[in-house]
Amino acid sequence: MSQLLGVAMLIYLGVAIILVMAELWSSPLMQRAGRGLLWAGLALHSGALIGRWYASYRMAAGPAPPPVFLEKLRLVILQAPLSNYYDSLVFFSWCLPAMGLLAFRRHLQGWLGAIVAMLACLLLAKASFGGVNANIQPLMPALKSNWLLIHVVVCFLGYAALTVAFGAALLYLIQDYSPREALPALPMLDRLIYRAAILGFFLLTFGILTGAVWAETAWGKYWSWDPKEDASLVTWLIYAALLHARRLKGWQGRRIAWLAVLGFLAIIFTYFGVNYLQSMHAYMT
Amino acid sequence: MSTTKSQAQPKSRLWGWLTSIRLTVHLLLILAAVAILGAVLPQEQPAEVYLSRFGDTWGAVIWRSGLANIYFSIWFLAPVCLLALNILACLIHGLPRAWRRSFTPLSGEAALTLPQRARLQWPRGTDPREAVAGIWRRELGRTRRQAWPGNEVFYHETGRFRPLGPYLVHLALLFILAGGLIGKFWGIEGSLPLTRGGTAQSFLVGGAEVPLGFQVRLDRFQVQFYEEGGIPKEFRSDLTFTKNIKNPQGGRELRATCRVNEPVSFGGFTFYQASYGTQPEDQVRLQVIQGSRRESLQVPLHQWLTLPGGEAQIMVIKVEGNLQGYGPAVQLAYKSGPEHPLIFWVLKDHQDMQEQIGPYRFALESANFQFYSVFQVNRDPGVPWVYLGFLLLLPGFYLAFFRPHQCWALVLEESPQGDWQGRLLGSSPRAREDFDLRQTRLLEELKKGTPS
Repeated sequence: MSQLLGVAMLIYLGVAIILVMAELWSSPLMQRAGRGLLWAGLALHSGALIGRWYASYRMAAGPAPPPVFLEKLRLVILQAPLSNYYDSLVFFSWCLPAMGLLAFRRHLQGWLGAIVAMLACLLLAKASFGGVNANIQPLMPALKSNWLLIHVVVCFLGYAALTVAFGAALLYLIQDYSPREALPALPMLDRLIYRAAILGFFLLTFGILTGAVWAETAWGKYWSWDPKEDASLVTWLIYAALLHARRLKGWQGRRIAWLAVLGFLAIIFTYFGVNYLQSMHAYMT
Repeated sequence: MSTTKSQAQPKSRLWGWLTSIRLTVHLLLILAAVAILGAVLPQEQPAEVYLSRFGDTWGAVIWRSGLANIYFSIWFLAPVCLLALNILACLIHGLPRAWRRSFTPLSGEAALTLPQRARLQWPRGTDPREAVAGIWRRELGRTRRQAWPGNEVFYHETGRFRPLGPYLVHLALLFILAGGLIGKFWGIEGSLPLTRGGTAQSFLVGGAEVPLGFQVRLDRFQVQFYEEGGIPKEFRSDLTFTKNIKNPQGGRELRATCRVNEPVSFGGFTFYQASYGTQPEDQVRLQVIQGSRRESLQVPLHQWLTLPGGEAQIMVIKVEGNLQGYGPAVQLAYKSGPEHPLIFWVLKDHQDMQEQIGPYRFALESANFQFYSVFQVNRDPGVPWVYLGFLLLLPGFYLAFFRPHQCWALVLEESPQGDWQGRLLGSSPRAREDFDLRQTRLLEELKKGTPS
């Protein structure tokens, strides 16, 4: 299974290179090849995820899996491979091409496709070589909740959409400060930032809500000012500001792009930075 | 929200400022900055923590200025209150209009005033009305039409309720903020440690006892581990609640199991399995050695016990599960005659370290520990408001972001000679991209039937 992930990582790297070359040589054939390969990488990655899910389920079920279908289903839901740092890196990485290919199909090529594939590759590299404990660990009591699956999935899909917005914003800023033929046109990037930010903001909001409901059932507090909660609030506020500024104040272009970059930094802090602070959300390994 | 320009009068200038989107964006960014501080600075620690970490000057600044408890200080509450006012002002300002717009469906007459997008012409003698009706139905769904002598209009509207979306979202945020405030002022949260078989009629809120109004008993408490000393698997407390304290047999009773993620509610309070701890059982088993005589004794905690022979008394002061890495130990007080009692430790696993005390030596045979369960006990009347806000957010987001408002109309006019001409009208203030796509498709379809 880790071999599968290794192959997926190499594929993402290859996709990034191919898409950049396709852009430099303006070759539609290579664009198509790059995207086809990205689909292949995503398929392998999905296979690895399902394999880990199955292994985690088998470990929890032990020699005698629950006989009743509903109990079995509950165990399957609980054992989704989303409970430690390694799992989250692998899943975050999976979300990037998945979100890109499903929600931003038309835009996921060239430089933007390369950025998304490269980030997915880096996340997998961090999971594999970053000294992260890859063992499947049994769930501690607080994590035993149906909310785990939905909370984590929605949050990371949101992160992925906002990462696409960041990629578009990066291209926008490069294009804006030193215009190049090869880069996508500014108005298209501007619209893409906005669309990705809307989707990401919606998912992030939903992620925070599910987290709050879960916290209320687990700890009796829907909000406890935990550093991760603070950081996600910061992220939420930045994107809320972006959407208001763009929609109602008519901000466009550079300022919106900078806000999207700022929001992405907040996400990075929410995801990585909080592990270095005292937090209920800090991954244990 | 709106972008009303402020007028000359001071009142309307204040109103204009309160309803301005500039204020909203600034407040959001200020709140983000404050929350970053809150995430980075440790919160709600004693003053010494800040003094030792940030030095005397900065530590004192942080402590005095409220940055150590930032979410309940003016730094956070002032912008939040202003934001709530801003949202409220925008609701009052814009909701009536959005409401009217949402409940005024597009009429045939109104459709005629939409901006024109394209012109179409049909060859003489063809009546395009049926073909157009078919295309309209296929592309846009439900068709509405209105006819006057010589002309006819087909029209269609989607996302009529879109204008309500943002107001729903902001109303939801106000509910959530209100719920937070209600919880802050009328809610209560505390903790309750219970040993097995123990009962309580009150719980601890910041060191003070607050009555529950009923009795709770811990019938059983189980802690399971995946493997010895490893990750805990489950905490499970079996509780019995009794409504009538004076007459436990007569009152209403509830038996329930409380686990992590499975709280139990009774009598207006909710009990959450928060943590657990260990404490020694009520007695330990000691061996008293006097020369060659050994006697095993059951010794209760915190009570003087006369030793065999009656020359001295001992009392167990403290029981430790692991004393400085030496394993289980008890602290004993030994009294013989009028002198001060002698206080010393007896280790279970290191009997060789035990000295002679008077005529005696002591050995610890067993000191057992039992788990006790700690509950978080809450009453938060704000939660329903917060959840109501959550529920409103979802349809609000859906309307605001995923139901763009579009109006379409096709006006067909027949000239006295029998020529049919068409004008495609339409508007979509917010979603240009979707609008353009649909316009291209509509025109393609319409032109298929018109060779000219």
